[in-house]
Amino acid sequence: MNVLMKNKKTVFYTLIAVLLLIYPFINDSRSMMILFTQVFIFAIFAMSYDLLLGYTGIVSFGHAMFFGIGAYTIGIFMKRFEPTIPYLMLAVLVTIVLTALLSYLVGLLTLRLKSHFYAMLTLAFAGLFLVLAEKWRTMTYGNDGFTFRVPDLFKDRFDFYLICLVSMIVVFIFLNRFTNSPLGRVLQAIRENEQRSESLGYSVLQYKIIASVVSGVIAGIAGILYAISLRFVNTSVFTMDITLDALLMTIIGGVGTLVGAIIGAGLIEFAHHWLTELAKVHWIFERWIIFFGIIYILAVMFFPQGIVGTLKNIRTKSILKRQRNLETKDTNEKAAG
Amino acid sequence: MELLINLTINGLATGMLIFLLAAGLTLIFGLMDVLNFAHGGLFAWGAYSGTWIYATTGSFVIGIIGAIITGLILGVATERWIIKPVYGNHIQQILITLGLMLVLSEMLKVVWGPNQISATAPSYLAGSWEIGNVIIIKYRAFIIVVGLLVFLAVQYILKNTKIGLIVRAGVMNKEMVQSLGINIQKVFMLVFMIGAGMAALGGVLLAPYSGVIYAEMGLEFAILAFIVVVIGGMGSFPGSILAAILVGLSGSFMAYYVPDLALAVNMLLMAAVLIFKPSGLFGLKG
Amino acid sequence: MMSVQLKLDQVETYIGQYHILQGINFEVRKGEVTVLLGRNGAGKTTTLRTIMGLNPASKGSITYNNEEIKSLPTYHIAQKGIGYVPEDQGIFAQLTVEENMKVAMKSENDETKERLSYILNLFPDLKKFWKKHGGLLSGGQKQMLSIARAYVNDNDMLLIDEPSKGLAPIVVEKVMDSIMQMKEKTTIVLVEQNFMMASTIGDRFYIIDDGRTVHDGPMNVLKEDDEMRRKYLGIA
Repeated sequence: MNVLMKNKKTVFYTLIAVLLLIYPFINDSRSMMILFTQVFIFAIFAMSYDLLLGYTGIVSFGHAMFFGIGAYTIGIFMKRFEPTIPYLMLAVLVTIVLTALLSYLVGLLTLRLKSHFYAMLTLAFAGLFLVLAEKWRTMTYGNDGFTFRVPDLFKDRFDFYLICLVSMIVVFIFLNRFTNSPLGRVLQAIRENEQRSESLGYSVLQYKIIASVVSGVIAGIAGILYAISLRFVNTSVFTMDITLDALLMTIIGGVGTLVGAIIGAGLIEFAHHWLTELAKVHWIFERWIIFFGIIYILAVMFFPQGIVGTLKNIRTKSILKRQRNLETKDTNEKAAG
Repeated sequence: MELLINLTINGLATGMLIFLLAAGLTLIFGLMDVLNFAHGGLFAWGAYSGTWIYATTGSFVIGIIGAIITGLILGVATERWIIKPVYGNHIQQILITLGLMLVLSEMLKVVWGPNQISATAPSYLAGSWEIGNVIIIKYRAFIIVVGLLVFLAVQYILKNTKIGLIVRAGVMNKEMVQSLGINIQKVFMLVFMIGAGMAALGGVLLAPYSGVIYAEMGLEFAILAFIVVVIGGMGSFPGSILAAILVGLSGSFMAYYVPDLALAVNMLLMAAVLIFKPSGLFGLKG
Repeated sequence: MMSVQLKLDQVETYIGQYHILQGINFEVRKGEVTVLLGRNGAGKTTTLRTIMGLNPASKGSITYNNEEIKSLPTYHIAQKGIGYVPEDQGIFAQLTVEENMKVAMKSENDETKERLSYILNLFPDLKKFWKKHGGLLSGGQKQMLSIARAYVNDNDMLLIDEPSKGLAPIVVEKVMDSIMQMKEKTTIVLVEQNFMMASTIGDRFYIIDDGRTVHDGPMNVLKEDDEMRRKYLGIA
């Protein structure tokens, strides 16, 4: 039964992937293609956040840190050196090293404390990076930010669309494998009951740090893609807004499902796009984020599993119900016969 | 010499404002095990509503009272409808209060628009005194006095009243307080309200001090308040004022001598405390 | 026949996913000392906590003076006249002895003052360290303070969890004496591993094993039955 469901899922996902692949051929709209590209980028970001929150149960309020590091690294490399592929690869490498190091250090310092402390500290650290970016004008040009050129491969919108789509799929498959691996299962056990995992002999801190590092690196990659898509970077990549985006996307889409992060990213980005259009009609739409903030609060209160999770629950419940009905039918027949 | 005095007064004033925000946070956390990430939103609402009421009525005092009342109302609503439903689940509670922070900040923009609003002190508090060579800005002294008065008042309540005793006992051992027949839920509500009121007071006092108010100020001050709560110790009321003064002073001196490092120094302090004494300098819980 | 003050009927309690209490049945008669015995981890402390509502029962019924209290919040249960002395004593460490008592005292009327002076005479150490922080007291003194807090109000029933734990024999005797004296004024449910103490002051016993009540009877019966003691309590 499970194997069948798993195959169904894979078929379904592959279908979606193919659809997304050929979509630009069907639809000419350039703005839609750019919108989808943003969705893919933020899906990567949200999935990295889901690994922390949904699978390991860690609440970080500083995820923008890693995003921003990726964004600034690529920007600085492209601007200071040359906008060529080798320098791009170097930038990616540096991002990976920096984000891994940072997430490791922050994790080491604070993951052994209560969840409240981790949330507070990551909030403060992100704030620190924001201030850093504002002040270090020689590197970052402060609040104004700077534009930069990108290698030819990334210049074409369509090519970039494909790059982001493929990246998203690769990250999805990787995280899927990761969370289903023995390591991933330990992370989920930690989310469920940390004390029990500890008493079973798992060094909870080490596992949490691993999750933190993987999550941070992927967030950095998302940041790189984001900066490339805009060919511009400024302090906004370090703001609370970015972290909030990740939060909204994972919670509303569905924590702990990975797919939920992708759906959440789609929802938020599309809503942002359309609602800002509507803002021209009536100013209230400019405050569209309140709408999502309220949905988010309701989601945390009543549907902690988000959309995908709740659907899964409904599905599981109906399957169990059918099974029980079959069983009672069996026993009834046996009793009668 | 005058410089030192100025920086000190500056630091003390900022410290008092942070104290008003941090005190509520630390008591709420100590008693209820709830870290209210929306506390900064209460601060910002205090600033906006207080400034608006002052501008509308012409009376600064009424503005302050109005801000406090706004804080109390928002506090009650938050405790009952946002915190209580998820009580006990740390992750939900952290997530939901941050969501509330977002909504509160955005609602400010809906009501008062997205632009900065300027705020001034009333004429009787504007200007400064000259004592010899030293110039003391009246409004800053005012903030320090108000902050001290609030501290003394709350400290008195904590040490000398039955309800204060219950709060202190509850911070140490909630279950035991309940087992002694005391409905601690009601006490939660009271503490939350007082914390919210203090936060709102901090906000309305800050407005003329900084000259402008904007929606993001809530989060900015909240970060400082978190740093103070960690350094002072979760649940320690005296810890919150001492740490707030420390952070305020260090910020003030740093801002003058090495401006770029101001926030960094406070963060390093917080990191150091977390590594060596996570329960804080005066903490009662780890 | 003494009246039944507290009755637990098929009570089950979960802590998280753990099914700690799987079927607790017992009756506490007014004026008696009922002792809950059993090995470590059998569920004795959880039983007391369930009665107090700190770990609410998921199944079964708990009646106190013929009133169902299973679903009441802890403070309400305490207000009905049940005092609780937990295993770790629950002393407010940074409050003074005086403040600890003040938190407990529901009112300052004459009757409470009388009970206060009675218990302070019973435990003169508390008077001596009246202004000292609770956390600085010795183990025995903390136990006395915890018992004093439960006693100072006009409680009809006291739940006392392992009062002799970790105490020197001479202190244990003192605690035992105090409980014997309180027995005259209030019903007591006692969890005790110290069989000497349990058998001296107890009137009835219930043995809890693996979250279930498996045996009960008058205390003198258990005193004679070596085999039962060995089987369920692991003692000779």
